[in-house]
Amino acid sequence: MFILRKNFNYLIVLIFLASCSSMNVTEEKVYSDNVKTVEASTSNIENINYETKAVFASATIYFEFDRSNLTSKSIQTLKSALNALIENSSINISLAGHADERGTREYNLALGQRRAEAVSDYLILNGIDKSRITVMSYGEERPAAFGQDEMSYAKNRRVEIN
Amino acid sequence: MKKIYFTLLFAISLSSELILEITQGTEDPFRVALIKFNGDKNISNEINKIIKNNLNRSGEFKIFEDSDLLSIPLNESEIVFNDFKILNIDYLVMGKIVEEGLNLSVLYEIYDINMRKKVRTSSVFGIPNKNRQLGHYISDGIYEEITGIKGISTTKILYITENENFNLVIADADGENEQILLKSNEPIISPAWSPDSKKVAYVSFETGMAKVYIQDIATGNRELAIQNSYQISSPAWSPDGKFLSLTMYQDGNAEIYILNLKNKNLTRLTNHYSIDTESSWSPKGSKIIFTSGRSGSPQLYELDLRRFNAKPKRLTFEGNYNAKASYLPNDEGIIFVHRENKNFQIAIKYYDENFIRPLTNAQLDESPSISPNGNVIVYAIKDKGMGLLAGVTLSGAKFRLPAKIGSVREPSWSGFLR
Repeated sequence: MFILRKNFNYLIVLIFLASCSSMNVTEEKVYSDNVKTVEASTSNIENINYETKAVFASATIYFEFDRSNLTSKSIQTLKSALNALIENSSINISLAGHADERGTREYNLALGQRRAEAVSDYLILNGIDKSRITVMSYGEERPAAFGQDEMSYAKNRRVEIN
Repeated sequence: MKKIYFTLLFAISLSSELILEITQGTEDPFRVALIKFNGDKNISNEINKIIKNNLNRSGEFKIFEDSDLLSIPLNESEIVFNDFKILNIDYLVMGKIVEEGLNLSVLYEIYDINMRKKVRTSSVFGIPNKNRQLGHYISDGIYEEITGIKGISTTKILYITENENFNLVIADADGENEQILLKSNEPIISPAWSPDSKKVAYVSFETGMAKVYIQDIATGNRELAIQNSYQISSPAWSPDGKFLSLTMYQDGNAEIYILNLKNKNLTRLTNHYSIDTESSWSPKGSKIIFTSGRSGSPQLYELDLRRFNAKPKRLTFEGNYNAKASYLPNDEGIIFVHRENKNFQIAIKYYDENFIRPLTNAQLDESPSISPNGNVIVYAIKDKGMGLLAGVTLSGAKFRLPAKIGSVREPSWSGFLR
């Protein structure tokens, strides 16, 4: 019991308790909230050689809000990437889909994936082997532009071909 | 040089102040006199301030401190009930800090002014350097005694911060006492507490692809929830802690699965060419709510897990964006992100009402998470491009959590820890 502890506060507490009308004291012990910090080792995901990357450096396909269909303009951009892939049968590519920050993060992750899949489908339909393409999404987590305006949003709704 | 240093210190201490912007708290708040606890002045200042902020943040209290009172009793015999009654005060809280070496305990009492009697005597035993925890325990004791509802000051929130790294952070429900669970150079999203609040599941891009990890908070031990080559995200624990629902991109498209954590069996829940993601379990574990794009825009759907091959039932029809839903702890409704006139807001829909109630009115509000007592929603906002955390009580009181270094987002509320 609390009041039986031997310490100089004994008297004060006793007086404090004695001055109270008779009532049970609810006692609680604070829980420990210890936390261990972990550091994630990030693997190097840039496994495509430099020469190959240069061919596609500027290939970015853009999309409408909440849409994953290719526009005629993006198909024009894709055609040059397609030709480069046909001419260099040894190179593989990664398609990273992205979304703007509006809307929820997980939905945007799925939306980014759909955009990358749409680009992948186009390339496969035009004769590129599926095994040469890696598809992934970063959702809204890796924006290309940081503003909160339609200009920035438009730049972020994209698939980057690398 | 010295001057700059002091200005800087001042700015930091300001930014860690709780910003209260109660727009429409309860019309008739509990009026509570909180007398400065007896004992070490520094400790009582700290603890009293924590209690005051905690109770204020609930939107249900009006706190009177020593300077607001007509008399300041030091013990029961000194209480002049009329001095409190005249100020329309409902309750009086007084306490004593007892130091025993490094250990600290607080004995506190609550008096009902109208009934002129003591309604609670409690003692909280601390562990060294946990004064904040003591303050939170006392806050919950007061909250419970007066409202009859379990308090949430001793609960925790998880969230993500981004500065030079991405961090998974755990903090007290008032946003203080931050501790980092995981640091990474690559994005971390979708943190989720296990029902016993001992583990967290989250999505990390550390391998270059979204994967779900499960991490033990106290030991730091972590593992992949599923080991395969697919992109996996959006983890949510079943209420019994035995299953994890998640989104897997096995055929390139987002579909929801349930993972049995014991035998690692996977059961597919959805099968549609559009996006299905953001699953969340009902409090009894019998239903799963999720976001689906199958109608052409993101809408909320529900699956009854007790019925074999049940068809998803659409729950939202208002507006062209309803996503990231979770159930109220009493299962009387759902909270989610709702778009209204191009603005993304936090909204609530009760089952017995046929309309959506917006709870916030900024432009980019997201990631709502409700407290285990069902009274407060914490969510992420954008202020001048920076992510911050804010809260809204179901009675409409709003507050912001202390500003942090870097951008803050995706809060997730723990269960009861006390």
